[in-house]
Amino acid sequence: MNWQGLELSILGPACLAGFLVLSTHVPLGQQVLARGIIFIDLAIAQVAALGVILAQYFGMDEAGYGVEIAAAIAALAGGALLTWTDRKWPDLQEPLIGTLFVLAATGSLLLLANNPHGSEHLKDLLVGQILWVSVHQLIPVALLSAVLLAVMWWRRAQLEGLLFYGLFALAITASVQLVGVYLVFASLIVPALATAGLSGPRRTVTAYAIGACGYVAGLVLSAMLDLPSGAMIVWTLAGCGIVARMLLAVAPSKRIDTSVAA
Amino acid sequence: MTDKMHKYTFLLLLLCAFATPQAQALNVFACEPEWGSLLHELAGDAIQVDVGTSALQDVHVIEAKPSLIAKVRRADLIVCTGAELEVGWLPQLIRQSGNSKVASGPGYFLASDQITTLEKPAKLDRSEGDIHPGGNPHFQMDPYRMLAIAKALDARLAELDPAKAATYKQRLDDFTTRWQTAIKGWEAKAAPLKGRKVVVHHWSWIYLLTWLNMEQIGALEPKPGVPPTSSHLASLVDLTKASNALAIISAAYQDPKPGQWLSERTGVPAVVLPFTVGGDDRSKDLFGLYDSTIDKLLAVAK
Repeated sequence: MNWQGLELSILGPACLAGFLVLSTHVPLGQQVLARGIIFIDLAIAQVAALGVILAQYFGMDEAGYGVEIAAAIAALAGGALLTWTDRKWPDLQEPLIGTLFVLAATGSLLLLANNPHGSEHLKDLLVGQILWVSVHQLIPVALLSAVLLAVMWWRRAQLEGLLFYGLFALAITASVQLVGVYLVFASLIVPALATAGLSGPRRTVTAYAIGACGYVAGLVLSAMLDLPSGAMIVWTLAGCGIVARMLLAVAPSKRIDTSVAA
Repeated sequence: MTDKMHKYTFLLLLLCAFATPQAQALNVFACEPEWGSLLHELAGDAIQVDVGTSALQDVHVIEAKPSLIAKVRRADLIVCTGAELEVGWLPQLIRQSGNSKVASGPGYFLASDQITTLEKPAKLDRSEGDIHPGGNPHFQMDPYRMLAIAKALDARLAELDPAKAATYKQRLDDFTTRWQTAIKGWEAKAAPLKGRKVVVHHWSWIYLLTWLNMEQIGALEPKPGVPPTSSHLASLVDLTKASNALAIISAAYQDPKPGQWLSERTGVPAVVLPFTVGGDDRSKDLFGLYDSTIDKLLAVAK
């Protein structure tokens, strides 16, 4: 057991980053699950990484906002492409997303054949390390999350076509760089999956509670057991999801809801 | 009454005198195991050492753990390789720790600043692969550079902790004597390796090869950090066969498969060297690291 990493100043920024990611990913995750396109986050993340590598290929400096803009443009283009395929071949959307994922991933490898620094950046983009997050890095993400949440609130459940894919692309691009692809996937899918039987605000509140519990427990456990934080949080998220599922099955749903909300 | 009080004051002071050296022991964070081992040679139990990475991981990239930040936070001194080896994580680690003592100045010791590095590029160009502008950072396998670093590190310990300067000096003298004797032994023993050719995995052996007068004829990675293409591998197979190479060497933390692949096609043995302290069973300290490395090369030279 290890108590030395258990400090708010070490775990605090990572925890805030997790809550920011959850704020947009919990509602988006329900959409993703309903549409049955769970690998879309991997595909969009890879397309964003491909955009960064392309920008560097054409001589853009790897530091600064240019890279972020390149990632966002590529992700939006990927989102537009998926909107189009969704309209054209709705039954084939999931395999098309899978194909886009491998094309973007291997396209990066081909472009990087002679650029090792790009591969470091690719790894940063995909694996992102939640513990390295600094508070000033969170400010633009917080602003973006607020805008995305406002749009989602304004449109309610009617996130269709380009609006859905565009919102999704921007949310994923920001969160992947902050916490990495594994955590993004878990934050999207696990709370939505664990609350699959519920609906409306009750589902959203329970899903947020599962997510928050997973992040806090994961960070605390990673400090105490001295294990990498990102991977630990994925497991505690899944653990919180299973516990929530069991409570929902055993107890009348109303009681659970109030206990979670409290 | 006053006498008694004086007595107590004296006792209290005496207690403090004994208690303080323990309480003031320097906390040192070493980025790699070789610096942890060197610190142990130079200071023994007089300092508290935390080592950030192990011999079985690639120090270009590490996983972020809360304990790493906590260790850097309480450090009075960090000892790292430098030459951009840790550029992917050390700046973030120092920033997250919020410890200004080790961000620069005497608390920030880079081994690469104490020596001249090899393969310092004349021009910086991405097309040349993963090169470090500060030169090749894998100099822990050159015993002479290690000795120069030991002297500089000892001076730094004495500067930060003058009360124990005598201990540090005495331990440095002792280490220097043993190290110089060992160098003579290694050089005599490694004589059969002179002039022999090797293929390397990553470009991390230049200091060892230069010291032992060996020659690198090729690398599995065509440029540092760049994965091989099929045409590169084909020419490497021909080159390895044609030049009577002694071995294909890789480090303990690397995937042994590429080396074995080349070995199967050329008949040249693939050798995994410890690379740093902890890389194999014998490499328990710096002496063991060098003993094991040379013995493993000699084993295939027979």
